[in-house]
Amino acid sequence: MGIDVQLNWADAYLAQAPVGDLFAGASPTMAMRWRTMLDQLSTQAQADPAILADHVARQAIDLGMAFRHTGDEEERSWPLGPVPLLVDAAEWAHIERGLIQRADLLERVVSDIYSTQSLVRDGKLPASIVTGSPHYWRVMTGTPPPRGHHLHFYAADIGRGPTGEWRVLADRVRTPVGVGYALENRLALSRATGDLLGTMNTRRLAPFFDELRRGLAADCERTDPRIGLLTPGRFNQSYAEQAHLARYLGLLLVEGDDLIVSDGRLFVRTIQGLKRIDGLWRWMDSRFLDPLAFDGQSRIGVPDLYDACARGGLMVSNWPGAGVIESRAFAAFLPQLAQAMLGTDLILPNIATWWCGQPRECDHVRARIDDLVVGSAFLADAPFTPGATLDRDQRAALFDAMARRPMDYVGQEVVKLSTTPAVIDGQLTPLPFTLRIFVARDATGRWRVMPGGFARLAGHGDIRAALMGQGDMSADLCVVDSSPVPPDSLLGGAPAIRRIGGMLPAKAADNLYWLGRYIERTEMTLRLIRAIVGGSIEADLGPSLASPTMARLVDQLALWGAVPGRGGAVGPLCATALGDARQSGSVRALMATVANIGEGLRDRLSSDVWRLVRLPLPGFDAAVTETLLDASSRMIERMSALSGLAAENMGRTEGWRFHDMGRRMERAVNGCRLIALFGGDNASADDLMLLLDLMDSQISYRTRYLTGPALPPVRDLVALEPHNPRAIAWQALRLADHVAALPTLRADGMPEEPRRLADALAARLAPLTGDTLTMADIADVENRLLRLSEAIGQRYFLQLHKTQDADILS
Amino acid sequence: MIYHVRHRTILRYASPMRLARFNLRLRPAPWMGQWTSDYALRVDPAPSIIESRPAAWPVHVARLVIESPIRQLTIESSFRAGVQHGAPIVPDAGDPTVATVAQAALRDRDMGPSAPAHYLFASPRAPLLAAIGAWVGDTLAPDRPIVAAALDLALRIKAEFAYQPGATTAATPVADAFAARHGVCQDFAHVMVVALRLAGLPAAYVSGYLRTLPPPGMPRLVGADAMHAWAMLWCGPTRGWIGFDPTNGVITGDDHLFVAMGRDYADVAPMDGLFVGGAGQSLSVMVDVAPEDEKEPA
Repeated sequence: MGIDVQLNWADAYLAQAPVGDLFAGASPTMAMRWRTMLDQLSTQAQADPAILADHVARQAIDLGMAFRHTGDEEERSWPLGPVPLLVDAAEWAHIERGLIQRADLLERVVSDIYSTQSLVRDGKLPASIVTGSPHYWRVMTGTPPPRGHHLHFYAADIGRGPTGEWRVLADRVRTPVGVGYALENRLALSRATGDLLGTMNTRRLAPFFDELRRGLAADCERTDPRIGLLTPGRFNQSYAEQAHLARYLGLLLVEGDDLIVSDGRLFVRTIQGLKRIDGLWRWMDSRFLDPLAFDGQSRIGVPDLYDACARGGLMVSNWPGAGVIESRAFAAFLPQLAQAMLGTDLILPNIATWWCGQPRECDHVRARIDDLVVGSAFLADAPFTPGATLDRDQRAALFDAMARRPMDYVGQEVVKLSTTPAVIDGQLTPLPFTLRIFVARDATGRWRVMPGGFARLAGHGDIRAALMGQGDMSADLCVVDSSPVPPDSLLGGAPAIRRIGGMLPAKAADNLYWLGRYIERTEMTLRLIRAIVGGSIEADLGPSLASPTMARLVDQLALWGAVPGRGGAVGPLCATALGDARQSGSVRALMATVANIGEGLRDRLSSDVWRLVRLPLPGFDAAVTETLLDASSRMIERMSALSGLAAENMGRTEGWRFHDMGRRMERAVNGCRLIALFGGDNASADDLMLLLDLMDSQISYRTRYLTGPALPPVRDLVALEPHNPRAIAWQALRLADHVAALPTLRADGMPEEPRRLADALAARLAPLTGDTLTMADIADVENRLLRLSEAIGQRYFLQLHKTQDADILS
Repeated sequence: MIYHVRHRTILRYASPMRLARFNLRLRPAPWMGQWTSDYALRVDPAPSIIESRPAAWPVHVARLVIESPIRQLTIESSFRAGVQHGAPIVPDAGDPTVATVAQAALRDRDMGPSAPAHYLFASPRAPLLAAIGAWVGDTLAPDRPIVAAALDLALRIKAEFAYQPGATTAATPVADAFAARHGVCQDFAHVMVVALRLAGLPAAYVSGYLRTLPPPGMPRLVGADAMHAWAMLWCGPTRGWIGFDPTNGVITGDDHLFVAMGRDYADVAPMDGLFVGGAGQSLSVMVDVAPEDEKEPA
């Protein structure tokens, strides 16, 4: 070793770690494991923490991990710290016991609140602790959940003090935000670090999710239940997480308008009519669930969902109203409630809390205001104010407010958090952290703790607010065993084999269809642009807009809203058609629509598709024709990649059929349009050449005919030839195939409207040939296509009304 | 006093309303000092579903579903009701103070529909606006006797706010009505409820009917009224709930007919729900609250 020896990561970190740091304060055995881990990470990253951070960040982006702060238009990339937190089996067992006990206690308290209310009646719990919560819904009283389980999952925010003692900071039962991110953090980390986690004997997360799913299913009425994950929609902060979880757990991702309550039963609108839903994992607050029973302003809920709950036979996790337990004020009573209801102390203490609705406690908070933080008694996400930071006037104002409405306030002791290694500006740096740990019921109703969690590292500010504050980072939590973790055994045996993926909700079918149409429209727009820039037109035609052929090409772009109209030079015109977001038909705007529709399908699209859709447009310069040509060609390749993914990677489900129908429909309609423009009775040779080019049929034509383009054979090839995948006839045949394969609602064997129209269309085209085809035929075919598209929408996408046919309910 | 009440609502739509699922809160919930009989609800066209719903508060909720397209909907609710509160309630020197009532409310262990604990906190239509607290000032000072203090508050609202039908709608936030110092009974009841809760007192929003007293020698006006609204304050375990009508600046008595009580307007709205289609809605309401001896011959 040279003189210039660099400290290894572990020693460099320990030199600056404060007292009580998770690594610095670890037992000798655990300290060794921290060292081993840091050494290995260091080796992988050529001793540069920045490289490690970059590896992990890239994996997170690759997984499509994203989130929003409230009010964000665009999703942000996920800030994942590269160094996991290590906890050993003994310490973890203590946390597990504490949280299981707490989940038990919370369930008992919630049950009591919504049934006999004996806790309030006996004076163990003040009535206004309950009624002050915005998540308390009195209408749920006497409406018990299946098997008495108000809670199926529970998440606790816990903090570790500098002396190593764990405390519960907050209880969460409305949505377990973070559980999906915890899963993705683990995935990103293990991808970035190879076999590191395995060699450290890190406990696996997958079995927990299997238990969770079985736990949800066990409380459903039917044995092979259909369970939906109810999302507030794509603008919710954690929508990406919800979509990921739905896919991971095999749940149906649904929004309120996918669902309908009929005669007290919950159904999902699918392309096969209404299908019964047995359970909902809701990711929205109770107040939004049913505008007729809770908040009448809600537009994202399901009318009469309350009825379905009250009638019984519907599992909802967590049960409406359960959120009442989240009030911070409860923390002041849980120690006594544990004694009263469980006959024992809390294994994990919560942060010391005083509810000001009690005169003595209120006096205590006033007297010790400098040592405490003060905050809302009921809003779990409202910020705390440290009493010591208040000036005289602010303090007087606070005391005045507390005198008038003491019940709205709690005082809490100041949280002192220990630190863990993070990478900041390329350096290993100790940051304070909290953990969100997830607990869920298994099939027997017993609580299971996920062996891991979501670690939040404080950038700055109050770490107890939302999931991720500005500047915060997340990290994985690894529970490490001393011996290798056995591979997963399948609990309860393998599930029954099935070859079809389940229900296709009507809205998902709708989105898939339009995803196909927009991708195809984008591709055709790109072909038009490329033709204008001169990518493939015969050399002597050149990139000029003077010819009538070119003028019509520009007109078509204008008709599609890609450019404002004729006029201007080739370069600026094509730049507009490619990149001007204000033009609703520009490639940029179309791709934004594709991404937007795709977002509504997050649970159904592979991450490869998602990444392609969200890639930014290639750069180009309006003044340099080659760059426009290059950009449009690269975009066309991207469209081909999307086609390839759909063709090779999408299972031949009904979902794929709708996506493919969208593409076929758009391609056929565009074909009619282009033939009308460039294949008319007076078409010039330039026109026909362009038509062959736009419909990607140049090569086929040249291999078949030695002459230049002539009208009858060109028309036959692009309109009628049933083996040409660009021809209208080919699209019509595929549409007929798809429609024939889709489920029917009729019990009498008669064809439904889309089937009739699709068959008639194929039959209309079949007898025609290139020399008999007229432009009136083309116009008629275009009309029939539009009617078919309309009929598909009517039949499969819109089901506002309950259908009268009882046979389709199942 | 016995009343005959008839309340007719006609909704007309320029384009057909295709589907309606809605709640009606027109039937009086049971309340002390009042009885109801001969209740009838007529809906035209007849709904496919009509049933009564559980409610969290002293509110009677009927759920209706109409599944066929309609251009007009008529709802008529009628009943007989007797009101007998005994001697009018007046402030008393022996009343508990504002502070005493606020403390008693926090200690109360009742969780029933009219338990004070439910009415202590902000609710969706009654946010605890600091501006209203500043305006109330010492009217609700902690050492004042509760009934006198609340009556003063009602009188201040009557004096300082302009009664202007049409200036606000059912959807107007209390903040707007307060800032403009104008509105109708709904706005005034909300201001009063918010003011009382800001002082830590349990206050409810009440919907009901008001007998319109005729001027001397004049026939009573018929059909000119809509539903009325006022505030109710829990005045401690002995006094219980007392109604204050800030529109008229009075403590409620035998002229006020109770229909429903909730935390704010949203809990007792006469009609709310989901309506699909039905653009260009126009609404006409006719309310007739006639003392029985004045009942017109059939």
